[in-house]
Amino acid sequence: MGDPLIAAMKTSASGLEAQSMRVRIISENLANAQSTGSTPGSDPFRRKTISFGEELDRMSGATVVGVKSIQTDQSPFELEFDPGNPAANAAGYVKMPNVNLILEMADMREANRSYESNLQVVKQAREMISMTIDLLRGGN
Amino acid sequence: MITSAIGDSKVLQAIQGAPAQPNAADKLSASEGFEKILNGLGVNAFEALRTGESTAIAAIEGKATTQQAVMATMEAEKSLQAALAIRDKIVNAFLEISRMQI
Repeated sequence: MGDPLIAAMKTSASGLEAQSMRVRIISENLANAQSTGSTPGSDPFRRKTISFGEELDRMSGATVVGVKSIQTDQSPFELEFDPGNPAANAAGYVKMPNVNLILEMADMREANRSYESNLQVVKQAREMISMTIDLLRGGN
Repeated sequence: MITSAIGDSKVLQAIQGAPAQPNAADKLSASEGFEKILNGLGVNAFEALRTGESTAIAAIEGKATTQQAVMATMEAEKSLQAALAIRDKIVNAFLEISRMQI
């Protein structure tokens, strides 16, 4: 097993990547919040969800995090009355994506906070390594 | 004789992250030990620097993530810092020996 501090940095780096992926999914959801279908009655964009899972980093023996799966939210679509829309069904209703803007915003904030805390760990580990190396430099 | 061969091989092992080779380095003379350590330092630091650089370039090209680039660069920085600190120590030790009264 290698240096635990380096392993900590690797683990945090995996956290950073996982949270970036989460931000990507959120951005996809937000960008497609108005993406309807193009034929009458067709399904619009379906909200994507991301889930994380633990993974073993064989080099350092640390338990890192990875993106386990990206799935779609199965909750029902909202119907909006808009007879002129090409995606409107016979009754004039258009299916809108099941994206909830407020939910996505909250999710984004959480991703941001999580990213921050992982960055903090990287900073701390780096400082500890530097401090140790500085021992060699100080008194000669 | 001024042989700190056991200490030397430990330093080398810590730098290179290689498993200990018992008794292999223990019989080095002082100068061989110095040389070997300096060599090991150079090789390792260069390797880390090269990895850091290529990852940074890959990130610029959009092939690697920013996080990977930063991590690789930081790893290189750390190796270089350690190598420099140890080199300073070794050079100091060598000078110390050369300053010895005969």
